[in-house]
Amino acid sequence: MSNTTMISRGSHVSRIWVIALHAFTQLVRMKVFYFLAVFAVIAIASNFFDLPQHEGPESVGVNVLRSIKSWSLGTMTLFSVVLSIVATALLLPKDVEDRTLYTILAKPVPRMDYLAGKLLGVLLLVFVSLALMDVLMTAVLQIRTSMVMEQQLEMARAMDWPQDAIESLRAETLAQGPSWSLQGAVFAVFLRASVMASLALLISTFSTSTLFTTIISFLIYFIGHFQADARDVYLQAGQAGEGVFARLASLLISLVLPDFQNFNVIDAVIEGQAMPLLVLGKLTLIGLYYAVFFTVASWFIFAEKEF
Amino acid sequence: MLLPMAETTPAVEIKDLVKDFKTSFRKQMLRAVDGVSIRIMPGEVYGLIGPNGSGKSTTMKALLGLVAPTAGHCAIFGKDSLKVDSRNDVGFLPENPYFYKHLSGAETLRFYGKLCGLKGRALEQRVGELLALVDLEGARDRRIGGYSKGMLQRIGLAQALVQEPRLVILDEPTAGVDPVGSRQIRDLILKLREQGITVFLCSHLLEQVQEVCDHVGIICKGKMVREGRLDDLISIEDQTEIVLKDASPELISQITALAGSAGASLVRTGKPRTTLERLFLRETTHADD
Repeated sequence: MSNTTMISRGSHVSRIWVIALHAFTQLVRMKVFYFLAVFAVIAIASNFFDLPQHEGPESVGVNVLRSIKSWSLGTMTLFSVVLSIVATALLLPKDVEDRTLYTILAKPVPRMDYLAGKLLGVLLLVFVSLALMDVLMTAVLQIRTSMVMEQQLEMARAMDWPQDAIESLRAETLAQGPSWSLQGAVFAVFLRASVMASLALLISTFSTSTLFTTIISFLIYFIGHFQADARDVYLQAGQAGEGVFARLASLLISLVLPDFQNFNVIDAVIEGQAMPLLVLGKLTLIGLYYAVFFTVASWFIFAEKEF
Repeated sequence: MLLPMAETTPAVEIKDLVKDFKTSFRKQMLRAVDGVSIRIMPGEVYGLIGPNGSGKSTTMKALLGLVAPTAGHCAIFGKDSLKVDSRNDVGFLPENPYFYKHLSGAETLRFYGKLCGLKGRALEQRVGELLALVDLEGARDRRIGGYSKGMLQRIGLAQALVQEPRLVILDEPTAGVDPVGSRQIRDLILKLREQGITVFLCSHLLEQVQEVCDHVGIICKGKMVREGRLDDLISIEDQTEIVLKDASPELISQITALAGSAGASLVRTGKPRTTLERLFLRETTHADD
């Protein structure tokens, strides 16, 4: 009997994990984490960005805190979406071009395991990147919130504000500082990047180049921000939207094309509002739905692909 | 005597394989492989030779499930090639492979070993064994990006062997490799043969195929034109070769006369020649000394 039959062939989970860790290492060794230095500069510089002032002096500090959150979450969104699309678009064609895919699929590796591993590797990279950026943002915000709080209280006492007004100012300032809702917003950024990574994976299974995958993915990303509005306009435009067909078509579009307006709750968090757990749960389900849908669709195409 | 089950099942069974590809122009079909059948028994070294574009690589890819046959059937040790479990017993080295440049030689073998379910001490031991086998112990921690062509082929062969497969498929294993590297790969194939591992290779270098293979198939324009035991295919049945050492011209004359009197004719006499490759290897080895 051959020794090979005695070797444990490993489970799907362990194979996916091996491929994911490898994809993560591959991307890390491409020095993608250099962008964190750019993020650090933006996070610190956002302390000094001058915003137009229409309110009283008591709002100056709060606006600085909003500015830090706004710039940080905006940069996180930009980096995570770019990273998820470009990294995913790069990995598959590179393996085909270098013929490393042949050596992997010639091993007892199901094609689904390969795809899931690559996607997981990209998501791992995006998660670690966002976690590092989150730590930096929270640290900057924490330090700045303490400074703002001190200045605000000093100002309020100097102006002889009543105690309840001071408490209200304190609460308002604290709401702009680090909070669980802010962590929820970072998680929402991660969910959006995950949807984009799985979409890029789907496109790369039938595209012929990294450039094509990247362009189409970004196009769908932008469409995703307007598709809900477009559907509303269409359905409310006279008779066109009244038919069953029009409503079914609209439903189909929303099932296939992600509606990124769902992620606008991040803007509310920047304004200092709390993100209810229910909203985060709904976002998680939406993100999971699209990620699983695109990954399964990728598998259907990739399973039949010839190399 | 009945052979055990494992030995009666062919390592490779390709039956009437047909593979058509769509061409981009007018979606016309191009027949890359046309009714090819190959049967390789365990322990054999089979060489598939043919001109460029004759269907060698497509046949190998169909055997590995990388392309689906248009018609026909491929099996490895009795298992359908399109099923993942047929790959448990196969190692594959593609033509001109480029492995992940960011990994070292040892990391590359670890990655492929883990894909096959190896782990822990068994994996580390296997990585060490393979690096020793392909003579890359000195480069185990060097990034693959810095490997020469010959080293890439050897690490490729090592990854093909990582899960101790019973069948190794090699697509142009010595393509682009210098004669010394080529000789090392050939020696490795001979070592595999000694270990009873079935080898299925395709190559343009006919002399190498002749040296390592015991069965050969010649494929041309997608069709198998000749197949069989190498010795049977290349021997000239009506001629006999005698090689003499220190034979005098008189002895040669006597043999010629004897052959003539017995109704045979002497076709050719002369000095046997070494090959250019052997001369190259001898000279370059001396140069190293």
